[in-house]
Amino acid sequence: MKRFAVLQLSGCSGCEMALLNAEEWMDDFDLGYMTLVMSAYHVPEVEVLLVTGGVRTEEDLYRLRRVVRRAEEVVAVGTCAISGGIANLGNRPEVREVFLTHEKRIHLPHIDTVVTVDCYLPGCPPTPELYMAVLRKESDFKAATSVCQECGRNKPKDMRPTQLLGFQQGEVLPDVCLVNQGYLCIGASTRGGCRALCTIPGYPCVGCRGPSNAFIEKESEAWFTSIHRVFEHMTDIPPEEIEAALRSPQLSLFLFQFADYAGGGQAPRHKDQVV
Amino acid sequence: MTTLTFPLSRIEGHAQVVIETRDGEVHSAHFKAMELRGFEYFLQGTPAEEMPVIVPRICGVCSTAHHLAAVGALEDAYQVTPPPLATKIRELMYLGQLIQNQATSLFVFTLPDRLGLTSIFEHAADAHSEEVRAKIAGRALGVRRAGTDLITLAGGQFIHPIKAVVGGVTSGITPEAAAEMRTQLEGVLPLACELYDHYWEASLAMGERLGTWGDDSPAYYVAAIGGRRDNYYSDVIRVMSPDGVICDSFHPRDFRHYLTFEDTDYSYAGRTSYKGELIRANSLARVNMGEPAGTVYTDHYLRRFRETFGRPAHAIMLFDLARGVELVYSLERALAILEEPLDNEDMAP
Repeated sequence: MKRFAVLQLSGCSGCEMALLNAEEWMDDFDLGYMTLVMSAYHVPEVEVLLVTGGVRTEEDLYRLRRVVRRAEEVVAVGTCAISGGIANLGNRPEVREVFLTHEKRIHLPHIDTVVTVDCYLPGCPPTPELYMAVLRKESDFKAATSVCQECGRNKPKDMRPTQLLGFQQGEVLPDVCLVNQGYLCIGASTRGGCRALCTIPGYPCVGCRGPSNAFIEKESEAWFTSIHRVFEHMTDIPPEEIEAALRSPQLSLFLFQFADYAGGGQAPRHKDQVV
Repeated sequence: MTTLTFPLSRIEGHAQVVIETRDGEVHSAHFKAMELRGFEYFLQGTPAEEMPVIVPRICGVCSTAHHLAAVGALEDAYQVTPPPLATKIRELMYLGQLIQNQATSLFVFTLPDRLGLTSIFEHAADAHSEEVRAKIAGRALGVRRAGTDLITLAGGQFIHPIKAVVGGVTSGITPEAAAEMRTQLEGVLPLACELYDHYWEASLAMGERLGTWGDDSPAYYVAAIGGRRDNYYSDVIRVMSPDGVICDSFHPRDFRHYLTFEDTDYSYAGRTSYKGELIRANSLARVNMGEPAGTVYTDHYLRRFRETFGRPAHAIMLFDLARGVELVYSLERALAILEEPLDNEDMAP
């Protein structure tokens, strides 16, 4: 039986909870270590190591470096492990000023700046079926190209908002695309595979699965340009308004995944490594 | 001086117990929970509508509570009252969280201690124990899953919900989806009761082995339940005295007049008290304070709990048994709400 372990760095356990929802792995895999659900002090030798959470403390760094030596394959799971996520938001200078007095803070946004990562599973958190695709190494598994594809809302050509007033309108029309309703939804260029769980009930996509394969090996400007193009095509909202809205803390959680250092001298992650 | 460090497991987050001994005597003991990500700081300056979908990332187990507390705080600031249908859907989100959380806490986090296993996924040594474990593990995850599916139905995303916004919720629940959820919950309710019965027996045996149910210092109890055990999504916080009398109630925005926070040298969590007195919240508080729900299984288990341990019950290991009552209550209450229409046009009051 294939054995796997889950190493939790500084995170919220959302990724672990999603894994518990998967259930199917219980009969086919041996779980060697996952402190959320078992009393275990040492990580045994495992075929697959899932790493969640970001590196925030010396202890995170130490555990990460030590534990990956026990694994044949390392998978970075979720936004925090892949690009810092919430752990990285706390890197803003004003936050660091406060917390540096309490604890030494590490400035290492991605775990793959510290250790070799073989596979990336983006999502906040990834869905159970995505976990199973990774554990089972389903070679023919392909997530939907974009969230847009899985969403299915209609895009009426005559509905062109002039401002990003989505949340101030007081209602969300079912079945109509959120871009047409003046929401900053970036599902058109975000990797699918999440079943559009946010957009279908009426909340705009914030990109937690990262850029689709079209942008993953390009620098982040390419992703931003694509978002602008969608809004230019479907709305009459001034590009400055879109640009300003894209630079919010919430979107910065997700918008810089993968493309964040391509074009900056470091090799981008290969799209075949991303589920 | 010898320092012993025990990392804790089957808990959300990172924690350890550190014990210092000198010449065979315990010199000090500390519970340490050390995770600082800076939410209070990096949220400042964020557009208001983004807060309810960032703060669920504080915790992936109780995400829903953060989502709804954030929306509630914003609505209080904007002086906005959501329509009744939105309140109902938000209560369903809470019930989904309670089903999922209590099932996780009971059957994943604490049941292994009662069975003498390191986890419910550890394959047991002999065939019989393995059969028992496999049956429990499968059913426990099924009950958990019903909670997650209810969170998804009422809240949108399955771990970090998104449907609650200032002024209401982004969409309702269709009759077809509600009926499907009802079928799932109806299937899970007997499993939950069976697992809870098993858990109860195993806990009583453990209580006997240990000879104690833990620290039972009389405490005040604090819970946001609306008088009866009707509504977890209540904006009235009630206080029960150690001898079982509801002695106070207040609105959340007035909490500073009733609860005091002080830094301490023994815990990063500090100390919150009611008039200087020890307070407890969570499942034991709600089970001590709630009235019978009027539903079959909840009232049966509530009665059994009170007949066995009294009211109010103070011993801290009873929190786990109280969670079982809440698991059953949440299932029955969700079934009741899902009978009502949940997708009609509802205008703000």
